[in-house]
Amino acid sequence: MSIQQLNKSLLQVENYSFSYESLNDNQVLQDLSFSLYHNEMSMLIGASGSGKSSLALCLNGLYPEAVEGNSTGNIYFKDKHISDYATGELQQHIGIVFQDPESQFCMITVEDELAFTLENLNIPSSEMPKRILEVLHLVGMTNNKHKRLHELSGGEKQKIALAAVLLLDPNLIIFDEPTANLDPVSRIEFIDLIREIKEEKKLSILIIDHQIDDWLFIVDRLLVLNKNGQIIANDKPDKIFPEKIPRLKQEGVWLPKPYLNPLTVKADSRPTNKPVLLSIGNLSFRRKKSTILSDITLNIPEGEFVTIVGENGAGKSTLLQLMAGLITPDRGTISFQGKEIENWNEKELRANIGFVFQNPEHQFITDTVYDELTFGMKLNGYHQAEIKARTTALLSQFGLLRHKYHNPFSLSGGQKRRVSVATMLSESPKLLLLDEPTFGQDADTTHELIKTLVMLRDNGTTIIIITHDMELADLSDTILVLQNHKVAFSGSPSALWRKTDLMKRARLRLPYRIRTQNKLGR
Amino acid sequence: MIASINPSMKAFSVLIPGILLALTYDFFTPLFYLVFILIITFTLSKVSFYRWIKIFTPFLLIAIGFSWMTMLYTSEEFSGGHVLFEVWRFEVTSGSFETGVSLGLRSLCFVSLSLLFVLTTDSTKFMLSLMQQCKLPPKITYGILAGYRFLPTFQQELQLIRQAHRIRGVARSKGLRDRIGLFRRYVIPLLANGIRKAERVALAMESKGFSGESKRTYYHEMKINPRDWLFLFCMVGSLVTIASLSSYFGFLNIFGKQY
Repeated sequence: MSIQQLNKSLLQVENYSFSYESLNDNQVLQDLSFSLYHNEMSMLIGASGSGKSSLALCLNGLYPEAVEGNSTGNIYFKDKHISDYATGELQQHIGIVFQDPESQFCMITVEDELAFTLENLNIPSSEMPKRILEVLHLVGMTNNKHKRLHELSGGEKQKIALAAVLLLDPNLIIFDEPTANLDPVSRIEFIDLIREIKEEKKLSILIIDHQIDDWLFIVDRLLVLNKNGQIIANDKPDKIFPEKIPRLKQEGVWLPKPYLNPLTVKADSRPTNKPVLLSIGNLSFRRKKSTILSDITLNIPEGEFVTIVGENGAGKSTLLQLMAGLITPDRGTISFQGKEIENWNEKELRANIGFVFQNPEHQFITDTVYDELTFGMKLNGYHQAEIKARTTALLSQFGLLRHKYHNPFSLSGGQKRRVSVATMLSESPKLLLLDEPTFGQDADTTHELIKTLVMLRDNGTTIIIITHDMELADLSDTILVLQNHKVAFSGSPSALWRKTDLMKRARLRLPYRIRTQNKLGR
Repeated sequence: MIASINPSMKAFSVLIPGILLALTYDFFTPLFYLVFILIITFTLSKVSFYRWIKIFTPFLLIAIGFSWMTMLYTSEEFSGGHVLFEVWRFEVTSGSFETGVSLGLRSLCFVSLSLLFVLTTDSTKFMLSLMQQCKLPPKITYGILAGYRFLPTFQQELQLIRQAHRIRGVARSKGLRDRIGLFRRYVIPLLANGIRKAERVALAMESKGFSGESKRTYYHEMKINPRDWLFLFCMVGSLVTIASLSSYFGFLNIFGKQY
């Protein structure tokens, strides 16, 4: 009756375990047994650190050879043990599209990158141009053949990565968080493309992601991995939800929106008549010869929670760096608490403005979490007793007490994120700027971060945050939409959700709350 | 056009005259060879003069500096001849003058030969040609090409880390020891990310069936045509011709020996 029963399995995993040699007795994958079938779209979900990506590389035979790792158990592809395939052979049948669009290419131009795959397969050079054109047509990128890869947007890069894998003519394609770095509309476009290509090429697909939402309606089967690398569910999505929700929640798995309680309750009153904290007038910024921002004017009142949204490359990060006084504008003024930012003393400015970077590692300076938190206070000559009291309070607030003496680089992704936010709060800044802090984080970490931000806002900290996450944007007091180097919109979320035209132009998406309302209304 | 010469052949056409030039100590040979290179550069390639002179000028100053220092401190072997002029306590003889000028001109020859190569060669094609003509293993070739893509991202990341540290108040810390310790902090995240990215690219390449075997087909087949040989012959031949002219006029000097 089901697809599984009709089809023979394509890939079979039997009692498979995997561990890195360096992490003794910590098994990444534990005793996995499952099958993938012909022409089936399956999805593997799990909290970050559950070994999802390692599994992908184990399946196509690159692990454990590529790392110092051990594996036990068996994997069969088309009824043949994967170790019986010659070097490079299995990878032709099982292709992978990776998460990071920046680091999966080795050539400069689109054409050369695609040719690289064909050369690996020893395709005669006379046949290459035809194949390259065909595959570009398939992913809808025909006009980009001669472009340089670094000129493409994230979504376009992923399409080229998919094209390169399609050239292998594989039976199974594994997508390892393929949309994690994309803006909301590119994400949907890419998911649609995967669905179309699956139908056209009759492929088996395995999606690995920690966010299920947009996939839920196109996947045939869900595999759920827990934190210990064990499979705890393997069934059709509608069989898993809602039955197993409590179990999944416990494991930190990102539940689909229909089964999720709303993130946080919105503060009922917007701050009114608050004094302006940050004001920007007629600001322009150019990098080399291209305009990044032009003629930006805006005022941000004290205590507001502001999100900045817009396409990749719209100048969001640049605007945030300008606000922090990290770079200086070509024209226009920025004043913080009524005083122009250039006239601030660097030391005072840094104590008043916190900035959380996309990659928390960039901010680490010392060898232990404790030293990280005390660094700023020590520089500013706080009293020993006060430093100790504040640090302990922060450590417990962020659940880091256990990791007090750990090296920040050795922490998990979520813990690193918490440390990077905590360091910014040690001097209780008036303004906290965050550059895509939820990027690539699992459900637990994101949830926690949002809780922290709401708490800070309630304590009066002004928060400005760049995000692609429309659910987060929906929680804010004000949304700024950057488009074509300008502020295309500034106002409340509910006002933005009504501007269908602008939403389309800026490649934004409605949050889930509004999408369901619209559906119900119809 | 020089841009279409096979890159490996072009490299040899620039290297061989470079090595030969290093042996000539007279001023006649490098002077006329320099003129020859300049003529080639501006007639047979599309290098813009503005771009060329921008890179060339700093080297010109360095070459003049070299030349001057050599004139003042010529080794005994070469400093024969009558005294031309005196600078403070240094005597510049005709011998040392010639040696100095020769060194300056030779440096300029090296610079313009290098520019001729660098400004007319596509780095990807050069690597592909090294793989196809000089049998450089594909593992190294594609490794270097992949690394080449990273250079700009490395720079961006360093800038980000600087900013992140400035936010943390690193600018506020005093003293040399603190600063050195903080420099260490730049390196760790940079390296950590660099290694992670390199690993990802390597896995992506292997996932696309790259096995490092040298048996593979080529999309851009780099061939050696008769005109590549002709170019090599021209570059070396003209040097030999100029050297013999120099010898005819009695200037040629190889390793201090007059021919």
